[in-house]
Amino acid sequence: MSRRLSILIYGITAVFFALFFAYPIAHTVKEAFVGANGKFTIEYLVELFQNPIYVEGLINSFYMGLFTTILALVIALPLALLSNRWQFPGKSILNSLILVPLILPPFVGALGVRQFLGQAGVLNSFLIDLGLMQADAPFDWLGEGRLFGVVIMNALHLYPIAYLNISAALANLDPAMDEAAENLGCHGIRRLFRVTFPLIMPGMFAGATIIFIWSFTELGVPLIFDFSRVTSVQIFEGIKDLSGNPFPYALVVVMLVATVLFYLIGKALFGRENMASSGRASTGRVLQKASPLAATICIGAFSLVTGIAVLPHIGVILLSLSNDWYQTILPTALTGQHYTDALGHPLTLNSIGNSLKYASLATGLDLVLGIAVAYVVVRTKLPGRQFLDAMAMLPLAVPGLVLAFGYLAMTREGQPFDFLILGENPIVILVIAYSIRRLPYVVRSAAAGFQQTSVSLEEAAQNLGSHPIKALGKVTLPLITANLIAGGLLAFSFAMLEVSDSLILAEQQQHFPITKAIYALISSLGTGPNLASALGVWAMVFLAVTIVGAGLILGRKLGALFRV
Amino acid sequence: MVSIRIRGLVKRFGDVVALDHLDLNIESGELFFLLGPSGCGKTTLLRSIAGFHIPEEGEITFDRQDVTKVPPHKRETAMMFQSYALWPHLNVFKNVAFGLEERRVRKPEIKRRVEGALAMVKMEGLGNRKINELSGGQQQRVALARALVVRPRCLMLDEPLSNLDAKLRIEMRSEIRRICKDFGLTAIYVTHDQKEALSMADRMAILDEGKIIQVGTPEEVYRQPRSTLVAGFVGETNLIPGTIEFKSDDHIYVSTALGDIAGECADPEWSPEQNEKVVLSIRPECLSIHAEKPVQNALKGYLKESIYLGETAQYSLMAEGLSQLIHISELNPRRVIREKNEPFYVTASPEDVVILPAP
Repeated sequence: MSRRLSILIYGITAVFFALFFAYPIAHTVKEAFVGANGKFTIEYLVELFQNPIYVEGLINSFYMGLFTTILALVIALPLALLSNRWQFPGKSILNSLILVPLILPPFVGALGVRQFLGQAGVLNSFLIDLGLMQADAPFDWLGEGRLFGVVIMNALHLYPIAYLNISAALANLDPAMDEAAENLGCHGIRRLFRVTFPLIMPGMFAGATIIFIWSFTELGVPLIFDFSRVTSVQIFEGIKDLSGNPFPYALVVVMLVATVLFYLIGKALFGRENMASSGRASTGRVLQKASPLAATICIGAFSLVTGIAVLPHIGVILLSLSNDWYQTILPTALTGQHYTDALGHPLTLNSIGNSLKYASLATGLDLVLGIAVAYVVVRTKLPGRQFLDAMAMLPLAVPGLVLAFGYLAMTREGQPFDFLILGENPIVILVIAYSIRRLPYVVRSAAAGFQQTSVSLEEAAQNLGSHPIKALGKVTLPLITANLIAGGLLAFSFAMLEVSDSLILAEQQQHFPITKAIYALISSLGTGPNLASALGVWAMVFLAVTIVGAGLILGRKLGALFRV
Repeated sequence: MVSIRIRGLVKRFGDVVALDHLDLNIESGELFFLLGPSGCGKTTLLRSIAGFHIPEEGEITFDRQDVTKVPPHKRETAMMFQSYALWPHLNVFKNVAFGLEERRVRKPEIKRRVEGALAMVKMEGLGNRKINELSGGQQQRVALARALVVRPRCLMLDEPLSNLDAKLRIEMRSEIRRICKDFGLTAIYVTHDQKEALSMADRMAILDEGKIIQVGTPEEVYRQPRSTLVAGFVGETNLIPGTIEFKSDDHIYVSTALGDIAGECADPEWSPEQNEKVVLSIRPECLSIHAEKPVQNALKGYLKESIYLGETAQYSLMAEGLSQLIHISELNPRRVIREKNEPFYVTASPEDVVILPAP
């Protein structure tokens, strides 16, 4: 590709990021520090830290992030170690199934967790039936603060990210590193702690960072659990009276700063440069064929984790099928009515159409930008291309809530970008918001494709008289189609499931995407939760198909998509 | 130091037989080489001795103690890996100290021994360096120090020099041999580089398809190969097919397309019959070029190519009745012969003509 075109791509991407990534954040930060008189002030921040409700929210958010991360690592690490060592029957399918929870919408699953662990839920009914609990004094598993349920739901949703990262780190580890330790007399658990864990720490940290950022700023799950004392929900509530209220801005800034701070501290503690790949491997890693006992343990562990992780969503399916499910283990009456109702309801059908429209447009935009950025980064020697790469990956590290809030703030009436709201239709800003957040996945998969495809293939086409861009289109792009499809599918799935942007930016009912429609249905009375579940099930079925497809195409490389 | 006995070792990977009923004795204090083309099973054999593979059949003993099923961390061998496998999260000192810590050696003793080991590989004072701050040659020395410092029963080296540049490789050859001999170590060294094996080994084994096809000192293996495979793999050679003509007291005469050639059998246990099909192996440096027909072992050919390499000149001759070219290497060439397609005679002393069984 010509240098001029590369610079043009660079320029367009940089402007796009300046307008829709840097500006909304900067705008929010500005609002947080500018007083009513237009002068710089830290008064709002000071006031915020003096308000016990906001402080409690921040502490709860921190716990939410920390406990979710720890729990997710505890779930994922043993599985990754088992999978890295043993070959057992059904491994490839179990390896894909273990990833499924990642695309099951957690805030829909939260409905299921409520159904299982609530005071009138399944677990209590079961214990009462067994005579282990008094029917008139049911235990409140979710507790006063509701943190427990939120953490469980988040961890069950996000552990696949840890699994993918740890698996990738283990796969990249030169087996000779472990063998050298064995050879010098270091064995078993001791070897894990002295050699293996320190070496995969950067990979583990990469996964943990994303999990922490996602769960620290999670909005959907605490909303469903009515867990209002977390910063994300407080920001969401504060949006209702944004004009003249500086606290949501200040909260967003605090959340952003905290995220960056945690990331840097973690990086300094654990994230040393990639160490695992120094030197070339002397031997390929040979998986051991599992003995019957080991195979049973492996299959058992994978099935158990997958089973527990999809349990909330099975609850959702039952809820969507049930007429009456209160204080019983299973629903007492089943019906298919909610599915037909869900599809007949004006809100739902409309929202499915909206989501498809927003997500497809965003994915298209991602593909164009992603291919261009990946090409410049991998194939040109343009100075500063690493900066372009870092910029394109940055949305992974910035909480979705922060960006969503920034978009809302910058498109408010009287702000320079309010023309993006086409007569109250948020389609433009939603598509941009969706695409910025998912761009990293597409860039990573396209870059991987470019790296695997020898540049000489393209040069051969040019040598035979093909224009560089035509050579790219005729030779390289067809060769990396699999990568592009996989990246695009992920971008599409996550856009369909998007919570923060959707809840915050879609304000009129006729513009609701699926997630906001589900949220609206849950809060409505009567069969609302059942209808919401039915809609959630429709969404899940749809997404499961796409993600399994992506997993089959990309295999282990899927892990590379979840790194900063 | 241990002596190692291997009996009937079989290792399979799926349907592939990596080691095929293999027998081998390695004596105490010996620097023993495993040499062979890639995929011949030499690394599998080394890793089986270290305990990283459990063989399906056969046994391995260290000083009559059966270690076939002993896990690697209890074998007290020390391996130097091809990739060095130095742990990047530990510095040089910690890497070398690792094995001693596992053996519960006391702190002051560890410090003393690690410093001694680093001095031995000429890395003194670099203990605080990070692994990724070291050059390839330095990493190689640290890997050697890490293996030696635990005073292993047997040192194992898996192509330790393959990642180094040519000059450093030659320097490290004598270095490794010196250290092994200073300690009287039993050492097993895997390589596919025949120069490395010839220049360093006490004895060597040539492997092919999971079997050992010859064991001997470097001179024996080079000068008296027992098969065309060994002759072709170690050094270069001209292989000329023929049949046994007759045997005299001194030599055996073989009739070939180039005329009768006198040679000797390398294998004392093999004595070919008259009219038996054989192959002659003549090294390029054993052949000399003459303008006049020599009295004995005279081969006639036409010069096809000459290459001047400084210390040697290499010629290729097309001989009548032979499909392949004959290669000749002349040491210290005073004048390079360049007369293409002119007839020349070459000859080799019968001691340098090795008679081998036809494959």
